[in-house]
Amino acid sequence: MFLKNSKHVLRAALAVTLAALSGSAWAVDLNMPVGVTPISHDVYHLHMYAFWMCVGIGVVVFSLMIFAMIFHRKAAGHQAAHFHENTLLEVVWTIIPFIILIALAIPAAKVLVKMTNTSDPDLTIKIEGYQWKWQYDYLQQGFSYFSMLAADSDAARMLDSKISPFSVPHYLRDVDHPMVVPTGKKIRLLITANDVIHSWYVPDFAFKVDAIPGFVNQGWIKIDEPGTYRGGCTELCGRGHGFMPIVVVAESPADYQKWLAAMKASNGVYINPQTLQPENTGSPVEYAPAQLNFNTPSVAPVSAAGAAPAAPAATAATPAASPAAAAPKPAAAAQAWTMASAMARGKQVFDNNCASCHMPDGKGNSAMGVPAIAGGPVPNGPLHEHIELVLHGKGIMPAWGNILSDSDLAAVITFERNAFGNHGGGLVSPADIAKAKTAH
Amino acid sequence: MSTVAVAHEFHAEQPRGIWRWITTTNHKDIGTLYLCFSLLMFFVGGAFAMLIRAELWTPGMQLMDPEFFNEMTAFHGLVMIFGAIMPAFVGLANWMIPMMIGAPDMALPRMNNWSFWILPFAFILLLSTLFMPGGAAGAGWTMYPPLFLQTGMALPFQIFAIHLMGISSVMGGINIIATVLNLRAPGMSLMKMPMFVWAWLITAYLLIAVMPVLAGAVTMMLMDKYFGTSFFNAAGGGDPVLYQHVFWFFGHPEVYIMILPAFGIISEIIPTFARKPLFGYTSMVFAIASIAFLSFIVWAHHMFTVGMPLAADLFFMFTTMLIAVPTGVKVFNWTATMWRGALTFETPMLFAIAFVFLFTIGGFSGVMMALVPADWQYHQTYFIVAHFHYVLVTGAAFAIMGAVYYWLPKWTGHMYNETLAKWHFWLSAISANVLYFPMHFLGLAGMPRRIPDYPLQFTDLNQVVSVGAFVFGAAQLLFVACIILCVRGGKKAEARAWEGARGLEWTLPSPAPYHSFGEPPAPNLIWTHPYQDG
Repeated sequence: MFLKNSKHVLRAALAVTLAALSGSAWAVDLNMPVGVTPISHDVYHLHMYAFWMCVGIGVVVFSLMIFAMIFHRKAAGHQAAHFHENTLLEVVWTIIPFIILIALAIPAAKVLVKMTNTSDPDLTIKIEGYQWKWQYDYLQQGFSYFSMLAADSDAARMLDSKISPFSVPHYLRDVDHPMVVPTGKKIRLLITANDVIHSWYVPDFAFKVDAIPGFVNQGWIKIDEPGTYRGGCTELCGRGHGFMPIVVVAESPADYQKWLAAMKASNGVYINPQTLQPENTGSPVEYAPAQLNFNTPSVAPVSAAGAAPAAPAATAATPAASPAAAAPKPAAAAQAWTMASAMARGKQVFDNNCASCHMPDGKGNSAMGVPAIAGGPVPNGPLHEHIELVLHGKGIMPAWGNILSDSDLAAVITFERNAFGNHGGGLVSPADIAKAKTAH
Repeated sequence: MSTVAVAHEFHAEQPRGIWRWITTTNHKDIGTLYLCFSLLMFFVGGAFAMLIRAELWTPGMQLMDPEFFNEMTAFHGLVMIFGAIMPAFVGLANWMIPMMIGAPDMALPRMNNWSFWILPFAFILLLSTLFMPGGAAGAGWTMYPPLFLQTGMALPFQIFAIHLMGISSVMGGINIIATVLNLRAPGMSLMKMPMFVWAWLITAYLLIAVMPVLAGAVTMMLMDKYFGTSFFNAAGGGDPVLYQHVFWFFGHPEVYIMILPAFGIISEIIPTFARKPLFGYTSMVFAIASIAFLSFIVWAHHMFTVGMPLAADLFFMFTTMLIAVPTGVKVFNWTATMWRGALTFETPMLFAIAFVFLFTIGGFSGVMMALVPADWQYHQTYFIVAHFHYVLVTGAAFAIMGAVYYWLPKWTGHMYNETLAKWHFWLSAISANVLYFPMHFLGLAGMPRRIPDYPLQFTDLNQVVSVGAFVFGAAQLLFVACIILCVRGGKKAEARAWEGARGLEWTLPSPAPYHSFGEPPAPNLIWTHPYQDG
């Protein structure tokens, strides 16, 4: 294949040139990934086709210019000619680019038609962008969960963290809860956002669609081979824009089914797709009310947890309301609601959700206008105002009422009122949160 | 011409010192003010770029908060576009257009003074937001809502600063149109005008057409923030994408506002140093006009990932690709102008040749990004960053630098130091490629733009880019040195400073008199064809 060979030659040439410039080994691929979906293959070939056309035109035009610069110099004794127009030539070099463009436009249009055809999917997943994490909602399966930057990267990326990014595996490329999909199935992705515009980009899928609050965009992927594919947000979305990576784990349909079954039975704990073991980090998996389970006529409620997954998410995840359903939840929620357990869980929730703006030490971020938690008026003021603020947000502070479970909300508020030297005091229970929600 | 003579005497009693510059209505003084202002802003915007590249030297956050990084990327863009590139072109237009068309001054000298003096205040207002509580707006130079609406008290200041810049630009545009259409010397028909004047005439129409659109977009945002409207708020029935449509309806012509005058400059410089008339003058004029027309129907190619219907994607893909045709004509014409000339390579010519090469590379990546499926890979990565820096730095900025060297002898009466200028050129040209070329690879490998920190596999290329950036930044100090030395002294420049130079500006002595053509130039000085040998 001409294209393939020249690609290797070119890549080698570029690598040598660049390596000579910096004198180091190149860990990064210099070209667009071929990817693992039919569309990504088409896009790669389109890209190389356009690239070689540009190279061809460039060689012709630049050669002529260089020829003139060498042989038509005054210093070489060349006398200037006086011609200044040639209608035939001008018509020719208007028409030839036009023909080249048509030769580019036809294959591009074909791929475009193919990539916008989202009909007849085998599976639909809704992706929602938040500042600064992703939520994956398995609409037909009735559960959803948040996916955010892995804790080790998050610790290392802080200003003056004293942790070398080079010591962190997959620095800024790892998340706590990857999205899991089956290979060989046409997956329709519905993409939207909660706050500002984000964009969901995985280079190996040649997939980049903006997540726009209030609107649902769509696209599709069909992954050829199992693997872990990484990407990130590509639309500037504020302070944490560089820190909301995407990880997609593609598994064989059989493995995927096992993961699905485990997720449905897990009662709120994310199941690692590779080990099928529960992971007690990050926010819990939430279960959608049954009426949202369209497309699949009968999604059976998960038997192990009784009616819990079919009940509204907030109730299902509230230990106080249904202690039995909460058994496999993270250790803190499983135990009796004590100060110690609430503080431990609260710290986890704070680090995952609040620390990116309010800072891990709770000192806030004056550059962004984010107030301090440590010694701040809200955590040291009346409890109901604190709960109201967390539930409904204010300014750039998101409304967490629909994002976190009642128990996590209770835990994080307890934590904020008692940590960082604050004296707001008191143990907030999930029931307090539920009461505040209904009171509103 | 007695009125002109009277005006001449009146102006002879002009104030001295700072009041001369504050009250001046002279096109050369105002041109100088514009050019000095843009040079200052070039260094302010450059300093922001240096901070960005320093933070991106290695993974991890070392120097600044991510939010401050976002402010830097936004302000680098805003300052370079509205503070450096656009005022530099307006300054060149002020200096050169009256001299090139045989006029005594600009048509609207008092408005000319006002349109400049708005700018320093606009930028003080804009830059002051960096020191406000809550910080400046870190939402990119494009200011997309809803992110931009999360800005604190800096938001109205930035919006008013943009209103002021828009007013300044529109007044500049009106002045240029009035001058070109009314003050041409007898015998200079439209199709005998120098290419720089043609390019600016068309650019001025673009300015008047689109700056109010930007003003409208940011005003709607102000309403959303403070007056309870929901233009861009989906929860209130609005649409965040509407802003992008309105913004890019301004933004794409804006891109050509920053490149068409550069086309004009290159079309002046290349014939001079090729000692040969510009090839295809008529097709050059029509190419600029078609590019300007097309710029109004391609805007959504900045938005291929927002979820437009298939038909819209196809329309904007095809119209965008069409731009390559007139742009190609221009590149071919410049090549043909050099062909069989008698070339010499003084610094202006070096910048012009580098422009043609490197702008063409930016054009190639532009055609590739017009292909919607491939754009899903390129969009919002470093590939687009490479693209627009090739067209704006090695394109527009190189053209401006070439123009400064080309006309400095006319402005100052002295030749610049050719050795120093060549050092400036070669350092700039090489470091710009070290700076921008690897960005293509970073983008293809999937590195998003506007991120303050990056995964480890991008480290090597980012370090190459940063080295290029620091050298490029330092090289610009040579530019300042060349200008200062040339103003202070140097070899005496002749009226026709360059052997092959054509055009009315070279019939005036160097330095040019305070008032350009008190008497219209003799018709025999206007070439039957602008670049034909007389």
